[in-house]
Amino acid sequence: MNGHAGLIALAGREVRRVLKLWTQTIAAPVMASFLFILVFGLSLGGQIKRVDGVSYEAFIVPGLITMAMIQAAYSNNSSSVYQARLDRYIHDILAAPMRPWEVNLGLAVGGAVRALAIGAALLVLAVLVTPTTVAEPFILLIAVVLALILFCSLGTVVGVYARTFDFQSFISNIVILPLTFLGGVFYSVDLLPSPWEQISHLNPIFYLVNAVRYGFLGTSDVSVPLSLGVTAALAAGAACWSLWLFSTGHRLKA
Amino acid sequence: MTTSTSTPALELRGLTKRYDDGFLALEDFSLTVSDGEFFGLLGPNGAGKTTLISAICNLIRTTAGEIEIFGHHHSTLEARRMIGLAEQDINLDRFLNVEETLIYHGGYYGMSRADARIRAKEMMEVFDLSSKAQTAAPKLSGGMRRRLLLARALMHEPRMVILDEPTAGVDFELRMELWRYIRRLHRGGTTIVLTTHYLEEAEELCEDIALIRDGRLLARDSAAGLRASYGADSLADVYVKAMAL
Repeated sequence: MNGHAGLIALAGREVRRVLKLWTQTIAAPVMASFLFILVFGLSLGGQIKRVDGVSYEAFIVPGLITMAMIQAAYSNNSSSVYQARLDRYIHDILAAPMRPWEVNLGLAVGGAVRALAIGAALLVLAVLVTPTTVAEPFILLIAVVLALILFCSLGTVVGVYARTFDFQSFISNIVILPLTFLGGVFYSVDLLPSPWEQISHLNPIFYLVNAVRYGFLGTSDVSVPLSLGVTAALAAGAACWSLWLFSTGHRLKA
Repeated sequence: MTTSTSTPALELRGLTKRYDDGFLALEDFSLTVSDGEFFGLLGPNGAGKTTLISAICNLIRTTAGEIEIFGHHHSTLEARRMIGLAEQDINLDRFLNVEETLIYHGGYYGMSRADARIRAKEMMEVFDLSSKAQTAAPKLSGGMRRRLLLARALMHEPRMVILDEPTAGVDFELRMELWRYIRRLHRGGTTIVLTTHYLEEAEELCEDIALIRDGRLLARDSAAGLRASYGADSLADVYVKAMAL
């Protein structure tokens, strides 16, 4: 018997699911985000002056990659966990000799791998068509890791609480997507008039987008330690919530 | 904690389960199943059989009481490793094919990939699933799914197998085939806990039978013992008398 074989098998199962459905899980989001880069960046970018000292097509790439990655991490884990509950094959996992943290981590891996595959593909495509560079790779790495912890965990939590498939879409379309768009993916919040600039600072995804943008461009609308701190606090909260669900069986076990 | 041959396979002490909506599914339920025993649980729908199994397998939270598996608290990793569960409803992973279903299950229970691959091959041969190895679970026939469910429960070679109505909805041939396999498993020393609605199945297979209703244990004995206690000619008569009391 292997000490962490359960964790490895569960993580492998989640990655297998992502790869089996690769046209939906990887190709479609890459295509959608690349179209944003082409349409907004290359077509309209020529009409917009430089933002924060960089060309508009380069400016929007970090936010678009962030948006695609967090949507993928969230939707992958929420749908995988919800489906496992709906069909009750989650019983095979809950009954198995795995520790709660192993189940939590194993389920999260699928979303992380999917998001990284999308992010890597978009980065390659963006480098081909825009002047995208990575100015601060260490900051970018930290920001991406925190983003994955936050949205993989959030997806797992929603997958555990969801009573219908619609609920997951509701969170994605009514909460995450608007906050991402309003978090400065397509613009610098410094350009917004008061009070919208100040209100933007209440949006948690604004900090994540800026941390990732700093990693790529070396420029940000807000202090980088603050961006990473806010994102880390949210990621810690979401990860603890997710772990608590598997430790107590809340909403998983009657 | 060490286990010996005298340690019961399953020991329930004062088990109570009240669901959040207030429904009392099990009340102060105590039961001991010996190592190597073939044990049957009989009762009508809603008697508490599935709740009992779910409690043993850590699929629900218990309200009170203790559960031990071969001397280990049921929530420990050691106890979980020793249980194999085939649930009443088909709950197969829709994203995996037959071979993957078995291999990943083996992994969840601590088997290395190489060992799981070998064991999965054996199980597919035993349950006549080899030709369907690459078929996705949702595309299998009802009988094939039932076989796969049983193969999955046995994949990690558990010391105790819990079968919740394993022959419900299967044709006569498959039922006989499953009976043969379950008997062989029992002869090999595996403890079997079986719930069924088929009285002849319980009489045919089980050494000891418990009758439960409304979450309480009504009686427990061999089929012959139950017939004698209730003054009945058949297990069906025992069942009717017990449930009418």
